[in-house]
Amino acid sequence: TVTDAANNLPILGASVVVKGTSNGTATDFDGKYSLNNIPQGATLVFSYLGFATQEIEYTGQTIINAILDEDASQLDAIVLIGYGSTTKENVTAAQTTVSDDEFNTGAIVSAGQQLAGKAAGVQVVAASGSPGDGPVIRVRAGSTLSASQDPLYVVDGVPLDQGNANLNSLNPNDIESYTILKDASATAIYGNRASNGVVLITTKKGQLNSDWAVSYDAQFGVNRNFNQVDVLTADELRALATERGEDLSLLGDASTDWQNEIYQTGTTGIHNLSISKGWESTSLRLGLGQTNQAGTLIGSDYSRSTLNLALTQRALDNKLKLTYTAQGALENRGFADGGAIGSAIVFDPTRPVRSTDPNSSINGFFEFFNGGTPEVNAPANPVGLLESLDSQNDNHQIRMNLNANYKLPVDGLVFDGNAGFDYNEFDSFSIRTANSRAGFFDNGSRSFSYGLRRNTLLNGRLDYKKFLEAIDTDFEATVGSSYQDFTRETFSRNTIDGSFSDSNGDPIPLRFFPGDNRLVSFFGRLSFDIKDLIVLSGSISRDGSSRFSPEERFGTFGGASAAIKLTNLDFVQNSSFISQLKLRGGYGVTGQQEIGPDFAFIQVFTPGQLQSSIQLGDTFLPTIRPEGAQDLKWEETAQYNVGIDLGFFDDRLTGSVDAYYRETSDLLQFAPIAAGGLENFVLQNVGDTESRGLEIGVNAKLVRSENFNWNIGGNLTFNEIEITNLAGPNNNPVAVGGISGGVGNNIQEWAVGSDPSSFHVYRQVYDQNGNPLDGVFVDVNGDNVINEADRVRYKKANPDAYYGFTSNLNYKEFFMSFTLRGSAGLYNYNNVDSNSATFENIFNNPGNYYTNSTTDVLESQFTDPQLFSDYYVRKADFLKLDNATIGYTFLGDKVDIRTSITGTNLFTITDYDGLDPEVSGGIDNNLYPRSRTVVLGLGFTLK
Amino acid sequence: CQETLDLEPRGEELTAGDILKDPDSYPGLIAKVYGGLIVGGQEGGDGNADINGIDGGFSNYLRLFWYHQELSSDEALIAWNDGTIKDFQRQTWNDGNEFIRGMYSRINYQIALCNDFLRNTSEASLDSNGIPESARGLIREYREEARFLRAYSYYHGMDLFGSMPFQDENTDPNVPGQLITRAELFNFVESELLAVESTIVPARQNGYGRADQATVWMTLAKIYLNAEVYTGTARYTDVVDYTSRVINAGYSVDTNAPYTNLFLADNNSNGSQNEFIWTLNYDGQRTQTFGGTTFLTHAPVGGDMNPSNFGINGGWFGIRTTPQFVAKFPGEENSADGREQFFTNNQTKQIADESQFGQGFAIAKFKNVDVNGNQGSDATGDFVDIDFPVYRLADAYLMYAEAVVRGGGGSQAQAVNYINILRQRAYGNNGSNITASQLTLPFILDERARELFWEAHRRQDLIRFNQFTTNYTWAWKGNVQTGTTTPAFRNLYPIPAEQLNLNDNLVQNPGY
Repeated sequence: TVTDAANNLPILGASVVVKGTSNGTATDFDGKYSLNNIPQGATLVFSYLGFATQEIEYTGQTIINAILDEDASQLDAIVLIGYGSTTKENVTAAQTTVSDDEFNTGAIVSAGQQLAGKAAGVQVVAASGSPGDGPVIRVRAGSTLSASQDPLYVVDGVPLDQGNANLNSLNPNDIESYTILKDASATAIYGNRASNGVVLITTKKGQLNSDWAVSYDAQFGVNRNFNQVDVLTADELRALATERGEDLSLLGDASTDWQNEIYQTGTTGIHNLSISKGWESTSLRLGLGQTNQAGTLIGSDYSRSTLNLALTQRALDNKLKLTYTAQGALENRGFADGGAIGSAIVFDPTRPVRSTDPNSSINGFFEFFNGGTPEVNAPANPVGLLESLDSQNDNHQIRMNLNANYKLPVDGLVFDGNAGFDYNEFDSFSIRTANSRAGFFDNGSRSFSYGLRRNTLLNGRLDYKKFLEAIDTDFEATVGSSYQDFTRETFSRNTIDGSFSDSNGDPIPLRFFPGDNRLVSFFGRLSFDIKDLIVLSGSISRDGSSRFSPEERFGTFGGASAAIKLTNLDFVQNSSFISQLKLRGGYGVTGQQEIGPDFAFIQVFTPGQLQSSIQLGDTFLPTIRPEGAQDLKWEETAQYNVGIDLGFFDDRLTGSVDAYYRETSDLLQFAPIAAGGLENFVLQNVGDTESRGLEIGVNAKLVRSENFNWNIGGNLTFNEIEITNLAGPNNNPVAVGGISGGVGNNIQEWAVGSDPSSFHVYRQVYDQNGNPLDGVFVDVNGDNVINEADRVRYKKANPDAYYGFTSNLNYKEFFMSFTLRGSAGLYNYNNVDSNSATFENIFNNPGNYYTNSTTDVLESQFTDPQLFSDYYVRKADFLKLDNATIGYTFLGDKVDIRTSITGTNLFTITDYDGLDPEVSGGIDNNLYPRSRTVVLGLGFTLK
Repeated sequence: CQETLDLEPRGEELTAGDILKDPDSYPGLIAKVYGGLIVGGQEGGDGNADINGIDGGFSNYLRLFWYHQELSSDEALIAWNDGTIKDFQRQTWNDGNEFIRGMYSRINYQIALCNDFLRNTSEASLDSNGIPESARGLIREYREEARFLRAYSYYHGMDLFGSMPFQDENTDPNVPGQLITRAELFNFVESELLAVESTIVPARQNGYGRADQATVWMTLAKIYLNAEVYTGTARYTDVVDYTSRVINAGYSVDTNAPYTNLFLADNNSNGSQNEFIWTLNYDGQRTQTFGGTTFLTHAPVGGDMNPSNFGINGGWFGIRTTPQFVAKFPGEENSADGREQFFTNNQTKQIADESQFGQGFAIAKFKNVDVNGNQGSDATGDFVDIDFPVYRLADAYLMYAEAVVRGGGGSQAQAVNYINILRQRAYGNNGSNITASQLTLPFILDERARELFWEAHRRQDLIRFNQFTTNYTWAWKGNVQTGTTTPAFRNLYPIPAEQLNLNDNLVQNPGY
């Protein structure tokens, strides 16, 4: 019998040939074959499209079974779907698979970064340049307002904790592919966790019957910031002070470029070793990785050691396949004081870094003083901030899964089950020395926290597959259930006045923050492939979550989709230029249970901390606060998707176009409620959004030959989202988007008819020369008073469109690739400018000191802060060369050596005048710069 | 599998069963009801705030109330750029102002806390939770105080907003409240206060910081004094009646102690406490907030003022006063009146730019030092120990005098005598005492300003004298440096647009 290693099912039509002869046959529907006249010692060759060829020596056996593994090089023929797999041609929904040969290369530290720019409808943005900061991934721009927008990640069958997925614990080098399920008909089987899309991550495994394979590769990178916030130099500040007649005695005589002082050239070192071997019924792969990074902000670093193990064992006459996968990671992250970034912009450049004058320094760093103590409102010396803080987080993570796939005695019936466990313990501390400006008033500070997170999974399903000859239909059915428990525990303790005991000498209690929730799911799917022409698929999922009250706990979700494989019709088969044509359509309803609190539906009382006690009579009483309960239910998203897959010229040119329309209702919104209860803001199921998008992906094999291959790919996504309903009978708008400058100020607003990232600003009035007039705004409602009522919604942070363009080229052993990525139609609010660049900000400080500002003050000439002016809402369209690699592989007898040089973040084309146009959420303020990296790579593969 | 999903919280939060069945919880519950006026949330420095949509420190009841009563008046203006804050001093606020929204939320939240306490302490609730009779005496005392505190906040709602959504312990807090008009609110507040007058702990018999009978009398006197504004019907006789009860309860003003002692870190023990009828208590280590007296101490310090003289680590360069308020003191910044606390070094009297701390005289009233100049208990210099006097005897004296002049009966000689007690303390001698002929309404309004400035009375006083919007101007009123009058509708704050959107029962005040 010849069976498929992935699902244990027999393979129909596999070829079995005696090597070097024409003696051969093909397997029947049960995967069985028979072959005669085989000489002793001959070799049987088993092959099938999409699978690795296997050779088995004939030594007189009467039965020779072969189990074929999917061939990685043709992986695109088999694709994962939720709880199962299918062939690419039978996919009915919008989904994209990105495999390791397409990944971005270079010093990739975080899983997910390999995907940036690769798939339509998927945005991958490095949150910042801080080492250890994982990327932000959005599938079809999340649909929610207050709930999580992260997709569900499923690693080798184990759904990660949506609240804390920590993709960094996965070594990118061990990842074989990502499959992104975008539309609801594909994700609906994950029911209440599926609204933001699902990303299926597959790690690399060994192949059966393969030789020892050993490879080692190393990458060494240097990363530098290539851009600075444009601030006034010491001389420019002096000139400005002189010109305006300010008090020159408040300036110093140094010339310090504070941004130079806090940044350095960072380094990255990555080492990966992998070993794999396959025997007749066992395969093994072991991956070891070590990553060390020093960030550009002095004191920020990240190190990680990873272990990835995949073990496959077949037993019981190949009816049982056990796959054990484990990923372990030891992470250490060092945090530099991010406050130094903002401080370096506003700290007076006429002041020195160091000073020995005891009246203007702490621990050797210059600081502003007033009457023997530091100026409490003045910025702290940026270098002093960095040097006085030691803050680290250690994380130990182990994730494992045991998968059992058992072919039951009934024809076509297979059981597949997973027992998964994802566990991490973390330990972090933050110590501020007392002998520092930041630690001066509270005698230094120390805080510690530690805890664990545990994710336990048990699931099982039955797959049944049958060919219904009478109606020429392949029928597949799946039913299953899943149980998953999430436990989180954090313990923390902080000092008061530098001490772990309070004013009475009593120890400060260790605080305990647990989190518990549990999910159960029952799911099923039916699919029909009728006459190899029409594919119909439908799934349903009944899900329960402990986060909701018993009445609202369960919800039913589902989806249906269809595809017409026009490829199989004669007009395509006979066409000289169309090689592939498929139409798809689907509809699905999914939910969202990642709402934040675990027990919103239970009324609780929160005790007050000792520092918020109330004195009644002679005693200080800790308070007990009653809180209301909210009976919440699922956020529900209904999504329609239509798509077309095309191939031309023997698939030299392929492409997909998908369009979707999505409505999210019962939106979980943290919003105000009518006054009178124990909260004025609560999470509530109010509000709807509507979004729509168009996604286009194209791949072209420009050159295809033995020595020379050149592939290019492009994708383009249009996306828009609009709020259609909000809390209250009159759709109450909600202020969001907190900014720096003043306290409690917001710059964005949720309102019906608008994108949720819309800015809410005054309309600036300009003079005839186009210069903004200080404090003059359009009186929108014409009541002769400029106040809140004159703020309008103007532009938005979400892009209208984003796109990626990729090229991969190899000529003999030479290879070259690059990825371009861009966004259009987006705006940022430049909070760096608005919070520093006015004359008042520079010269009218709460104390005897001046501060610096960005050079924008010379443009705007603003005297007073105008935080809400649309002057600061700036166009942020960009095009970035994310990644470019060139390399050469030296082929040897015993070892191949692959060498490469990669540059990341090589250039950005933009009109945006801030540090970086790419700002999550659209409020540009003190971003840890994303640096430019040059990486040398060296890889050895033993033969 | 339903049971599989039955999890219980196991953190610091406690469930109703844990709390309400334990007699020892009730002091913590009433402490929260008081705490709603004093701090912003459950953690030091207003962390884990009670209300959202506004910064935790800003959400502090006393700080918001102070903005509404003082920043809008001639006594104060602020330099900061926190959202719409300057709309107060300019009298240009509208129904989207986040501080007004915050105040409205805070008052209604406070009422909800009171209602919740009253629900949880009904005899039926105590029965069902098995609270023994021996523990109920104290709980019943608290209950009267919670009922008073609810009336106190409804009084604020009536004063600032006119009408309110009505909720009590018998309504469903999840259903938007019905409208209660200003006149109906007056009747409700009055009847509640009269109801607890005889059941709350007698005057000066309760613990420090807890409301007692005199606190109730003082609140009754306040609503009667302003009754004409609230209902159109004057009640000055009742003012004389209730201020007399307060005055005769045994409080005292020490004419030998400096006026400034009233606002020091040790004002709970330096003798000032004998004058205090009710205080909101702060402590630098155990009651930490960025509102309350921490705000009142830090925000007015700046320029050449030395923070260490104020027992704090630094000023916030925010609040100063107008030239019109300076003129209330004879001799202005060089007044012999000991209540004059202007700081003028490097401060101009006139204010060309509201955002410059150096423009407008600063005021050094609240100081986190004891009578010997030692800093309060928080060594970091962040949080202060000063207790805030909500009601003190001096106010009762002035209210008595005003009611007498307005025809409420009482004794004019006694009224003059009371005023002169305050003036003897202010001047350190009786050389500036007034005579009966000097006891006029304009004099009383100015004397209230001199005695009670920055204690959150000014807007109410100016409205009662019809000088808040029309008739009187001060710097930056109407968003003009020299000041201009504003329309009378601004005597009431607007109902926040947010709440109008959420509760169709509400009606916006005229003019907004």
